[in-house]
Amino acid sequence: MVFEQEQEEVAPGAVHGHRLSTVVPSSVTGEVDYALADADLAFKLHYLRGVYYYPPGDVARGLATKVLKDPMFPWLDDYFPVAGRVRRAEQEAAGGEGDAGAPRRPYIKCNDCGVRIVEAKCDRDMDEWLRDDAPDRLRQLCYDKVLGPELFFSPLLYVQITIFKCGGLALGFSWAHLIGDVPSAVTCFNKWAQILSGKKPEDTVLTPLNKPVQGQSPEGVTAPRSVKQVGPIEDHWLVSAGRDMACYSFHVSDEVLKKLQQQQKGRHDAAAGTFELVSALAWQTVAKIRGGDVDTVTVVRTGAAARSGKSLANEMTVGYVASAGSSPAKTDVAELAALLAKNVVDETAAVAAFQGDVLVYGGANLTLVDMEQVDVYALEIKGLRPVHVEYGMDGVGEEGAVLVQPDADGRGRLVTVVLPRDEIDSLRAALGTALQVA
Amino acid sequence: MPTGGVFSGSVNLKYVKLGYQYLVNHFLTLLLVPVMAATALELARLGPGELLSLWRSLELDLVHILCSAFLVVFVGTVYVMSRPRPVYLVDYACYKPPASCRVPFATFMEHTRLISDDDKRVRFQTRILERSGLGEDTCLPPANHYIPPNPSMEASRAEAQVVIFSAIDDLVRRTGLKPKDIDILVVNCSLFSPTPSLSAMIINKYKLRSNIRSFNLSGMGCSAGLISIDLARDMLQVHPNSNALVVSTEIITPNFYQGSRRDMLLPNCLFRMGAAAILLSNRRREARRAKYRLVHVVRTHKGADDRAYRCVYQEEDDQGFSGISLSKELMAIAGDALKSNITTIGPLVLPMSEQLLFFFRLVGRKLINKTWKPYIPDFKLAFEHFCIHAGGRAVIDELQKNLQLSPRHVEASRMTLHRFGNTSSSSLWYELAYIEAKGRMRRGDRVWQIGFGSGFKCNSAVWKCLRSIKTPTNGPWDDCIHRYPVDVPEVVKL
Repeated sequence: MVFEQEQEEVAPGAVHGHRLSTVVPSSVTGEVDYALADADLAFKLHYLRGVYYYPPGDVARGLATKVLKDPMFPWLDDYFPVAGRVRRAEQEAAGGEGDAGAPRRPYIKCNDCGVRIVEAKCDRDMDEWLRDDAPDRLRQLCYDKVLGPELFFSPLLYVQITIFKCGGLALGFSWAHLIGDVPSAVTCFNKWAQILSGKKPEDTVLTPLNKPVQGQSPEGVTAPRSVKQVGPIEDHWLVSAGRDMACYSFHVSDEVLKKLQQQQKGRHDAAAGTFELVSALAWQTVAKIRGGDVDTVTVVRTGAAARSGKSLANEMTVGYVASAGSSPAKTDVAELAALLAKNVVDETAAVAAFQGDVLVYGGANLTLVDMEQVDVYALEIKGLRPVHVEYGMDGVGEEGAVLVQPDADGRGRLVTVVLPRDEIDSLRAALGTALQVA
Repeated sequence: MPTGGVFSGSVNLKYVKLGYQYLVNHFLTLLLVPVMAATALELARLGPGELLSLWRSLELDLVHILCSAFLVVFVGTVYVMSRPRPVYLVDYACYKPPASCRVPFATFMEHTRLISDDDKRVRFQTRILERSGLGEDTCLPPANHYIPPNPSMEASRAEAQVVIFSAIDDLVRRTGLKPKDIDILVVNCSLFSPTPSLSAMIINKYKLRSNIRSFNLSGMGCSAGLISIDLARDMLQVHPNSNALVVSTEIITPNFYQGSRRDMLLPNCLFRMGAAAILLSNRRREARRAKYRLVHVVRTHKGADDRAYRCVYQEEDDQGFSGISLSKELMAIAGDALKSNITTIGPLVLPMSEQLLFFFRLVGRKLINKTWKPYIPDFKLAFEHFCIHAGGRAVIDELQKNLQLSPRHVEASRMTLHRFGNTSSSSLWYELAYIEAKGRMRRGDRVWQIGFGSGFKCNSAVWKCLRSIKTPTNGPWDDCIHRYPVDVPEVVKL
């Protein structure tokens, strides 16, 4: 793990010149341990990757690295678990032979080790980059690391600051899902931006502390249908899918949304919201390109009602939906949307209680992730709003994932799919017609 | 009150010792009192009439009286003029690094692991850090927060500007010092010596006078702070009515050691950012507001001995990385240097009682019995406060043992090491600031600052406090003094 100076051949237009540094909390946290809840550990193999694009101009030019870094010190005072490192609990003293095989429970040691900051450059203009619509551009703008193989020295959050040739700025966050779900992560980043802009953010709620062991399901029970059991995972927390996975984002404009909503008029169970409609469209398209075989989908949603108010928690609901009988490739989008609205089997508690290591996203089934209620465009830096935000995921299983988030003006939706790289082109083609307004 | 047996023996001894000290230290007073009493009695017995006739019998006329008066005035003037000018320490300021430079243990270890594949090196540095006596608040300059560190000349200059200018700005705020009033400028920074010098950098930034006498001392190690004070004092003897600005610092940026030699890895773990700016003056009117007066400066250089010369040595290792190697004999040599220094400073500061004891024991060892242990004078009788260079835990432990000091006396040094790390020549000033921030500095207190440095040198300065210092002091300890003293564990578990 020796970092050489960047001397290798740089592909034209690639992101290069990475310089790493660390930001720590501004005051000493002390001997504090942050216990991980069962729900947290269920998501430990996944990593959120979010990129925010800011347009070139005077404001962007004034955003030197120091300006971006300085507010992070007090920010980490509030979010000190994010600056910690994963450790495993001490072995039970004089344990019998039986205990030796079971891996010890992970927790976060809040030792102020810090968050990694990466500074990089790109020799292309931001507009050109965005227009290019290359698959997996997310991976270049978010530092591509996971927890492990040395858990002791693996940061839970990386922030990459990429400067484009035109002066535009991209902020890439690589967040370990273990420490918090999508709404927690986005709120955390928004608070940093508020401190940067001189506003005083709301208090961070990290209590009550997670209770380590809640009702664990007995050993030998099979995994819930929403997830896939893997492992056992040692210290490298990534299950590499057999196939190369890539993220690809596409925009669903509000005209297309209106068209989809029209299609479900006249149905007696027209209760589907935009998330159900958009993800149903994605479900149908993926089923088409795979030639059927996507009968069940896992649905991960942010229910505002279900949240406890804790600033760092994994509280998204996990469930599955089985398409009744007919293949989703041939079913109407409206009908699929109705299924998603009504027939979700909630398995949140079962997933948390399950004792083995699981893949939630893309493990057992194609996973649909609802990010509609997450305010991603609120990350304003000195009044500068991002022109584009896209959220993807790493550590996704081969079945793939679909993330639905609001777009820049809030009326349409931005969908990011995480699929095997060779399915991306077929998806693009299949979507082409569906996304055209009639 | 202890009773009986063993305790009464030691209590008696204590009183004997106290009595002896009082007798010897006030010997002249005790001798003078009976003489004066006898004279007064005699005068009373003679009566005024006899005194007058005694006076007339001397047959003094005007010329005699005038000559005598002239003689008295002449001797008095020569005496007053030949005394050295008093050197006052008007005030001083220490640089407080921002929280954005903070380096917790975990971050330091993680960076070490990421920079080097050498497992042994990482484990060695972990062990040093665990036993170092440093805390989680110490700071490194921004260039050292990069993986790997980024030691360019620009970054070094930037660090120098931040630490030095902040310290001087703070000093100006405290004393109202005007740039045109600085007559002498002495800067010491051992390991960073650009052209133009750091003193020129200060002159440029603050637009100091063109006839300023500036000096830039480099390469003189961690004891250079007291060497600068000594130089400023000598200059103030030559130049009447002058102010001297002394700046002590060490610039960390260019000195990160990138290799794996164990004897060179220690500085990486211990050295931290720091700077101090001190205003010295020989102007009479400063005496009113000055905090301290400089009483003695004693410098001891053991460089003539080869072992001492090589014990802190900057060189390149086999891979070409430059670093400072510390020899295993460092503590022994430091002890030696300290003994030499004490031999010189002892007679200057110790009360007569201690000097006599030392003398008799020395005579006894030479003439009567060679196995007698040498008498270690009790410096606690000579000083109220001790500032021992926070070079590392081992140095402080060694000195505490050699000088038989209590934990309270070395508290300032240990806490400075914990909060600020080894800031090299400026550490003595952080320690003094600690004592002041704790409200322990009273008028008349005497302070002994001891610095050690490459060469091998041991330098001492003795200050006398001129006015009690009130808290809060607006110094680098203000926001954290309530947490101190902390108990620094022998080994921190990382």
